[in-house]
Amino acid sequence: MATSYMERLLWVDLSSRTFRVSQPPPWMQAAFVGGKGYGARMLHDLTPAGLDPLAPACPLMFLTGPLTATAAPSMRACVVTKSPLTGTFLDSYFGGRFGPEIKYAGYDGIIITGRSETPVYLWINDDGVVLRPAQTIWGMDALAANASIKKDLSEPGAMVVTIGQGGENRVPFALISCEYNRQAGRGGAGAVMGAKNLKGVAIKGSKVVKVHDLSAFKSACGQAHDAIADSETCRTLTYGGTSTSVAWASEAGVLPVRNYADQVDPKADRLGDKGQYKHLFLGKAACFGCPIRCSQMGAVRTGKYAHQVTDIVEYESAALMGSNLEIHDVRAVAHLIKLCDAYGIDSMSAGGVIGFAFEAAQKGIIEAPAGIRLDFGSVQGAQYLLRAMALQEDELGRLLSRGVKRASEILGRETDHFAMHVKGLESPAWGPRGTPGMGLAYMTGDRGGCHQRGFMINYEVGGKTYAGRPVEAHSLEGKARILKGEQDYLAGTDALVKCDFGAYGITPEIYARLLTAATGRQVQADFFSELGERIWNQARLFNLREGFQPEDDRLPRRFVEEPLPSGPHKGQCISETDMARMRADYYQVRGWDQQGRPTRHCLEKLGLDGMERMQFPVEPSQKNAFEGSLDKNATRERCKE
Amino acid sequence: MLPLLQNNENPGVPHVSRLPAKIFIKTHFDICSGCGLCQLACSERLHGGYNPHLALLHIRHTCENLYHFPTVCNQCQNAYCANVCPVSAIGRDAATGALVVDHAKCVGCNLCHRYCPLHIVGVDPQLKKSVKCDLCGGAPACVAACPTGALELAMCIEHPEQEEKT
Repeated sequence: MATSYMERLLWVDLSSRTFRVSQPPPWMQAAFVGGKGYGARMLHDLTPAGLDPLAPACPLMFLTGPLTATAAPSMRACVVTKSPLTGTFLDSYFGGRFGPEIKYAGYDGIIITGRSETPVYLWINDDGVVLRPAQTIWGMDALAANASIKKDLSEPGAMVVTIGQGGENRVPFALISCEYNRQAGRGGAGAVMGAKNLKGVAIKGSKVVKVHDLSAFKSACGQAHDAIADSETCRTLTYGGTSTSVAWASEAGVLPVRNYADQVDPKADRLGDKGQYKHLFLGKAACFGCPIRCSQMGAVRTGKYAHQVTDIVEYESAALMGSNLEIHDVRAVAHLIKLCDAYGIDSMSAGGVIGFAFEAAQKGIIEAPAGIRLDFGSVQGAQYLLRAMALQEDELGRLLSRGVKRASEILGRETDHFAMHVKGLESPAWGPRGTPGMGLAYMTGDRGGCHQRGFMINYEVGGKTYAGRPVEAHSLEGKARILKGEQDYLAGTDALVKCDFGAYGITPEIYARLLTAATGRQVQADFFSELGERIWNQARLFNLREGFQPEDDRLPRRFVEEPLPSGPHKGQCISETDMARMRADYYQVRGWDQQGRPTRHCLEKLGLDGMERMQFPVEPSQKNAFEGSLDKNATRERCKE
Repeated sequence: MLPLLQNNENPGVPHVSRLPAKIFIKTHFDICSGCGLCQLACSERLHGGYNPHLALLHIRHTCENLYHFPTVCNQCQNAYCANVCPVSAIGRDAATGALVVDHAKCVGCNLCHRYCPLHIVGVDPQLKKSVKCDLCGGAPACVAACPTGALELAMCIEHPEQEEKT
């Protein structure tokens, strides 16, 4: 019977230059479904405790879900590995066109281990799997490398992921740039790829992704499209992506300003949809199969940074590289973000690091090189630091490229007070003072401080109700329970793999219909929360095994010790007592003990107790295919121009 | 009315009617977002499943993804695909005027692909027969799936057949 799974995993070992193909075990498909679920289980099972994320043995996994590559709207894929920035489980999601292509080539996921002796890229098509030399591409930025790989293959239609210089140099917040200019951004998957000497992966396949019940699937897709069209939030995203959030976040008192010294910025408008419509936006681009088209493409065509094509300066980047650095010329911010994209480093972490550096320089803790101004408002200083970090050009660049946590540990002198991170992941752009539930989400996020693992802002200042009642922003009461529900549902739907934006419209009932029709597995709306709870606990087990303790589930000192100086949440902070209270509540609603460990009862309930383990495949390796020829399929030959 | 049914320029070439299609798909690159929902709908109709590479329309993303150019079959009046077909497998659908492939005749030689100026017709690797846009019999699935209106169904208002009737 047809299913939307391809039922094959591709295992590539770069050290031995071999690959294997195996079927995902039925128990893993049943318990973890795909995407984040597969990743959480496999990372746990395939790595020994304490493995260096940059060691050859660390698996780098590109994973799809059962709805990826189908006509179900607004789906994505993910990269899962161990984060070199945090040491935690890392899942990073990307839209664009690369994810579906994994399935069109016939795989549900690609698991890459080992380290090539020389730079290579991987080419996967209908004829097999080939390693190609990448010496001439090594050193290129991520976007130039994309074009070079297509040219090298004479395949303009190949879907390509690449790393930039940041990944080559193993900057722990380096990203993977995914066809086209979508990023698996957070947590440093690009450094894991760079440590494997793997510059890129190119795929093109002609397999058909089928579904179990086409007529039911088409009907569910229609409902999903209608739900997206009916969603006011989705319509706002079509209008201006997340750029509209900038002015809103300032009004709501949650926008990071001057390395989170404040959370209100009177000039926020300049960085939001108003500024971007004036200076950047020209047209829209969509990820594959998505009607929302949140990406607003444009160009800087006036001023110092003309001329360059720009993607939207989405909210997180606008805030962290804009208001957080007191840079209000959105063209300059777009320029800085484009540099991040090209160097292949996460613009969120980069904004956090630069904010930290500007404050440290202001306090006389670090010294700016001659001719460089390291202070809030300095585009030149930000540009200098991005280059110095990505290219590892000098001592300051190398220090800061380790992320704010390690840089602060090395610098000492109370810099931890303003090193804004949770477990090493630089804080997202939603200042949590005044929204303690968002703070708790950061404290307990599986990959460190993350806004996409329970967006409590929606409840605390966005007017979303819980169980029919408004949620009081400053209160701690009940926040843990709301957050658990959010985390579980998001983790469950990240197995599909859904996009967070489509999820503003598509309901759990529709996701259930889509999954049932695509795979034949009968599920109901509540399936995703249960699945997500299993996945969330699986990721927690990984982090506990890696040595994380309850005291790591905390916020940076500024959020704890420094009451907000202005805005609607003036005077608010999340004290040690507040954190202790929320942490205890959270562990309790999760069924964890006081040390934050899932209890035996909890693991039994979720089926995680005594579960089988995933292992590297035992199928014979296929070595020669790496040396295979790249001859084109004769039927695709074209009339030469 | 000119005798359009004759191939006046090259009477030696096997040919099909040079009547324009009665309906056709007009593309608007200025509002195309490159989402590929059209291609998903097309491959679904053709294969009962999904793969944009197997769809009978293409999208070219240029200028760092700033522009997206959808390309559909032109339903040519001077149809290169039909002109080169050695077994005259490509002819006009009576209802729509679209150029359609008769799979009973097609031998899978792929000459149509080789000489199509848009390379938008050709042998499908799974079906082993030439496939091309047939305008879905008059209600194209791609047009219905397009969320922005970048694909539009247009009618030929001065179609010679209509003139003949009047």
